[in-house]
Amino acid sequence: MKFHFFHLMPYPELPSDFRETNRSVWVDVPSKLFDPAVGHRAYNDYLDELEYAAEIGFDGICVNEHHQNAYGLMPSPNLMAAALARRTSGVKLILMGNSVALYNPPTRVAEEMAMLDVMSGGRLVAGFPVGTPMDTTYCYGQSPAILREKYREGVDLILRAWTEPEVFSFNGKYTQLRYVNIWPRPMQKPRPPVWVPGGASVETWDLCLDNDFLYANLSYFGYQEGQKILDLFWQQVEKRKMPKNPYRAGFLQFIAVAEDDAEAERLYAEPALYFYRRCLHVYPGYVNPPGYMSMATIKAGIEGQVSRITNRAGARAEMATLSWKDLVERGYLVAGSPATVADRINDMADKLNVGHLMTLLHFGNMSKETTLYNTRMFAEKVIPRLRSRFSEWDDNWFPREAPVQADAPSLKREPVPAK
Amino acid sequence: MNSEIVELSNGRRWQVYTGGEGPDILWLHGLRGVDLADPVLAALQKSYRITAPVAPGFNDLDELARIDNIHELALDYDDLLDRLGLAGFSMIGHSFGAMIAAEIAAHFPGRAERMVLLAPFGLWNDVYPVADIFAMPYTQMDDILWHDQPARERFAPKVVPSSDPKEAAAQMVKLAGSLTAVTKFVWPIPDRGLRRRLSRIACPTLVLFGAEDKVVSPRYADDFRAGLRHGETEIVPGAGHMLPYEKTTRVLELTERFLEATPLPVA
Repeated sequence: MKFHFFHLMPYPELPSDFRETNRSVWVDVPSKLFDPAVGHRAYNDYLDELEYAAEIGFDGICVNEHHQNAYGLMPSPNLMAAALARRTSGVKLILMGNSVALYNPPTRVAEEMAMLDVMSGGRLVAGFPVGTPMDTTYCYGQSPAILREKYREGVDLILRAWTEPEVFSFNGKYTQLRYVNIWPRPMQKPRPPVWVPGGASVETWDLCLDNDFLYANLSYFGYQEGQKILDLFWQQVEKRKMPKNPYRAGFLQFIAVAEDDAEAERLYAEPALYFYRRCLHVYPGYVNPPGYMSMATIKAGIEGQVSRITNRAGARAEMATLSWKDLVERGYLVAGSPATVADRINDMADKLNVGHLMTLLHFGNMSKETTLYNTRMFAEKVIPRLRSRFSEWDDNWFPREAPVQADAPSLKREPVPAK
Repeated sequence: MNSEIVELSNGRRWQVYTGGEGPDILWLHGLRGVDLADPVLAALQKSYRITAPVAPGFNDLDELARIDNIHELALDYDDLLDRLGLAGFSMIGHSFGAMIAAEIAAHFPGRAERMVLLAPFGLWNDVYPVADIFAMPYTQMDDILWHDQPARERFAPKVVPSSDPKEAAAQMVKLAGSLTAVTKFVWPIPDRGLRRRLSRIACPTLVLFGAEDKVVSPRYADDFRAGLRHGETEIVPGAGHMLPYEKTTRVLELTERFLEATPLPVA
């Protein structure tokens, strides 16, 4: 099993009455709430935390893309990945990723990801999310009626831009390019591994299985909820008579490790409630624009899908009333002593069959000190208990070890002497 | 009204409703498809022959796969009018349908003789932006579409949050399907350049707005009048965006007077 440290980079100083006095954390969140000095400190703390996770033994560090919100301060995760590429070695850079339909032309994504792969010495995982409705349709103005088609065309163009050796022309519906010939080319051959973070969508699963992409389910509702979705994914895998290799799938889980339950509550309750009460306070009108959920998805599993969405909407509305105890009991958070946390993750691995666990060890307004503690506890006391899970499987969805030659100058960290 | 499926030479299939006797009217429906309960649509059939096609995508979103933009949409309607053999007709459109009517008239100025636009989408003014009806839960959309509460009670489709998952899904498919078709042509801003084409419209045009329209401000009447060669406007008091339902008598009176009395421009 592999373990990754995922950072959402939330704005850490939303007022305590944020939920009562503002309509939404996303799209039209008031600009007056943003203090650049707070942002400056947050970015630097968050990068420190990601670098610490890299040093202490995580396999990957993850950043992602969101727009116009206080929930995550990364309109460009590529900038973060570039900063991390220079300050880390060995650890894989999981860019979760670029919402392809938002880039014109999408070769920009192919170029920047190739830069990151070359800069990092072949450590990039390339994520291609469709993107949330808030980001794609409201903030970036894409019509939900064409979003998925545009996304698919963009993914196709990027894959060709990475792999075709000759200059080619691309006559798409949304992008027309006479000369596609990106420089640099990715270091990993034939291309970096591709991960697709997505919800429950038939198209996403087909896209992943057709192209050998990893499917990642990013949920805030824990693995009991996640199991329902992963079950549907594995059914699709079985239908195609493909092996149920756990490394084909990833899952995101909030985790809070302490000496015991009491310490977990003392350290992590406040940041957890900050996340669920403030960071998830999205106006319901921005959650499901007509056309965002594809007709194929609606038609395919119609009753199940709809009731799930209804339940989730209910869950959102209910969020403000949940206590720390509720969050832990419902499994939204896995919290407690290292033994407890390891047991729960073992259970998750059994039920979801996921080889890539993306851990959220920072959430809400957690301080740097607490984050480093949580990260260290997980790395030192939980990971060793789980490391051998799924070792019988090959992981074909992750960068290979040490693709860079030993004499690559970029990996030297000594300061350059002044002349 | 009768419903039939009409197939065009390009293979596209249209559902078309027809009803009534008299001079021809092409009826271009609003946000929720051809509504047989629409009182203006019903009343007009007493003196006109109505042809009401269902806009592409409203029955099946796959219909939109070959219609990439507003120009191809106008072309598709042009093909349909050829196929139906309609000539010497008037057009009436409501809301999104009024935007289509204006675009047909701008793309093919010889088609319609007269045109009535009820609360049309299609223009944008930064001073009074068109409301974003898609940035709200479906169940709240009616709050800004309707002004007249009794009319809303009587005509608005009841969106009941159903505990029966099958029924909830069916409701959602229907609503999401038709609104998705609309988003293809109005997202994120319902302006596809109509302002630049308004002057191409050759037919006399009456633009009606509800005085209380919270979706498209009645102030857009000025924008239409400024761009149209033969345009007149009227604001209907006491009506919102759903003015044909809300002030039926007044809308009918203005529409019929315009259709019967306005002289055609000299060619």
